[in-house]
Amino acid sequence: MLRRLANVLLYGLLIFFAVLTLVPFAYMVCGALKSKYDFAASLFLPAGGGWLGVGWDRLTLANFARLFTELGLPRALHNSILLASVSSILTVLCCAMGGYALAKHRFRGRDTVMGVVLSALIIPGPLLLAPSFQLLYNLDLLDTYTGLILPGLAPAFGVFLFRQAMLNSVPDELLEAARMDGAGEIRIFFELVLPLVRPMLGAFLMISFMGTWNNFISPQIILQSPELHPLSVALNNLKGLYGTDYGVIMAGTIVSIAPVMCLFLLLQKEFISGLTSGAVKG
Amino acid sequence: MLRFQSFGLVLVTVLAAVSTTLVLLQPVEPQDGLQYWTFDRSHAQVASAAAANWNPRHPDLPVRVTTLTGPTLLTRMLSGFYSDTPVGDMIEVERGQIGQVFAGPVQDIGFVDLTDRIDRDGLRAAINAPSLSPWSLHGRNYGLPHDVHPTMLLYRSDLVEAAGIDVRQIETWDDYFRVMRPLFRDHDGDGRPDTYLLNTSPTNMGAHEVMLLQAGGGMFDAAGQPVLNSEINVRTVARMVVWMAGPNRMTADAPVSGPSAIKLAGEGYMLAFLAPDWFAGAIKKELPNLAGKLKFMPLPAWERGGRRTSVLGGTMVGITKACRQPDEAWAFIKHLYFAPETARRLYATFCIVSPIKSNWSLACYDEPDPYFSGQPVGRLFLNLAGDVPERIPSPFYASATTVLSAAIVGSCRHVDRHGITDPAAVEPEVRRRLDAAQAELLGIMQRNVFVAGRAP
Repeated sequence: MLRRLANVLLYGLLIFFAVLTLVPFAYMVCGALKSKYDFAASLFLPAGGGWLGVGWDRLTLANFARLFTELGLPRALHNSILLASVSSILTVLCCAMGGYALAKHRFRGRDTVMGVVLSALIIPGPLLLAPSFQLLYNLDLLDTYTGLILPGLAPAFGVFLFRQAMLNSVPDELLEAARMDGAGEIRIFFELVLPLVRPMLGAFLMISFMGTWNNFISPQIILQSPELHPLSVALNNLKGLYGTDYGVIMAGTIVSIAPVMCLFLLLQKEFISGLTSGAVKG
Repeated sequence: MLRFQSFGLVLVTVLAAVSTTLVLLQPVEPQDGLQYWTFDRSHAQVASAAAANWNPRHPDLPVRVTTLTGPTLLTRMLSGFYSDTPVGDMIEVERGQIGQVFAGPVQDIGFVDLTDRIDRDGLRAAINAPSLSPWSLHGRNYGLPHDVHPTMLLYRSDLVEAAGIDVRQIETWDDYFRVMRPLFRDHDGDGRPDTYLLNTSPTNMGAHEVMLLQAGGGMFDAAGQPVLNSEINVRTVARMVVWMAGPNRMTADAPVSGPSAIKLAGEGYMLAFLAPDWFAGAIKKELPNLAGKLKFMPLPAWERGGRRTSVLGGTMVGITKACRQPDEAWAFIKHLYFAPETARRLYATFCIVSPIKSNWSLACYDEPDPYFSGQPVGRLFLNLAGDVPERIPSPFYASATTVLSAAIVGSCRHVDRHGITDPAAVEPEVRRRLDAAQAELLGIMQRNVFVAGRAP
């Protein structure tokens, strides 16, 4: 009986906090569906004479329409998808290759490279902004997608993560057997190694996709032309000096989080299995 | 090979392929011509309209307008000035950021000195004189003003008139708080006032600066030296703090630059605002339901016969030293800022009045605005434009703001602690704190080798 009561209390608390977590989302959705007048006048849905005291007839999709017609958000959406997808695929491949080399290949300087990777883990990203900017300027890569994608291709965290995954999931015997059967290194990597670390691939793909999608500082600094800006920057440009249309910003925020949310729902199985792989000794 | 791979990897690869194709098919605007950088979309719209008119006549040197957010523009502009990284040919700079442009030796300021061009083209007399001051250093002008931003008092006329109050009897701030006092009340009986009389609070530095400038004080003198502890500042702050703290507190926090001002105006929580022209445009857009319930009046003066306005915010455009065609850039910024069409557009969009005197005769400024109970808002602001206080730019503006704010917050705490209602009683404490703020600021300034005369 006591255990049941404890469970009820626990679930009650969990439900309460879950609802609390959803409040900002509810505010965002309601804000996106309200006119300027209603945005200032009511906290969530506009008050009115309809069901539950809500003015249902005053809900509007005008903010979304403005986003896609006047404010040029479709181009920013394309840019974000391009940057996030290209960058996350290349990052995953580079990190997997780096991790595989450090885990399974013996070569001179391996420990030094590993030391460099571990040291790089403790360097905060913002510290690298100025030197990266200077480097990209010297390479004539400012205001290009390449300038944005290239510096983040092989983050130390990813290389280290894949090295650990390779150590745990890829048996040396399997690699030796493949070599004896005549498989080349490229074939071994793509057809043997990558499928073995598939959960980690999914998890890291998700992490790097979201990281690039939400990246705000680097595109702001590196990309100059508005037609190259991703959603994060384009949304920020909706804030005005003399006033801000919050309904449009809420609508833009929904548009910006929706694709990542869909992707997460599609990949959540891989993401979770990637995070938990190696958590229990098998 | 794909059959061995993660579903996510395949999905994102397809996304990458599709998005790359789509983006490659989209046209990219060429980066030739003159680059015009601004930090606000509405400014960009006005500049783009002017560029659309300009470019067909200058096909070999078209103007390209780029919008960057304020902090990004500042970072990239300063990087360009200090390290020759790419920077726009013409850049709009906001008042709060201009101080950083003027840090360091005068010869290294990244903007072209426009003084001689302004005089050569006879523009000095054409521009509202105080509007040039924030963009000038040691008598040299580095930018053309985008606006004037005179400040008036925007009040809830419906509440004031319902209470039978005639605002014509208000000439000074003391009159204002005395006459409006009946409206400062607790409507629902919960022990807390539901309507405050003015949007100023111990931490609202924008409002403090407006009031200090109106009183004839400020943070720097014409030579760029700090004057935080000047007698006029001490007297003004002493009068302000007893409104913002203690038993007679009648003001509350709602900076006009944030969303709270709009929200609190709509709720009737704030009776009046220190409102520059751009706030008129903002509130009109954000709160259509307040139409007919708001009116402007000149700011009450500090003393009878004193100044009835102040200033808040501002923007300039300058030509960078990196610009290879400064003559063409000069021609464009004149075309942009002096054109009646620009003035009309700025007023129609944000109620911003032009600093160019020849535009002051535009009919739009005299049109009664139904939102503001039929007042000709443009004309009301323009009547005060010439009386707007001058502002001295300084690289230490941000530091001055911080130490002054700390002094005002400390003085308010003192007022709260001792239940002070008389400005004269708090003056010694205000003086002590402003002296300390002045000393702190001087210490900060002395660390700059260019200010301290220790430049190598």
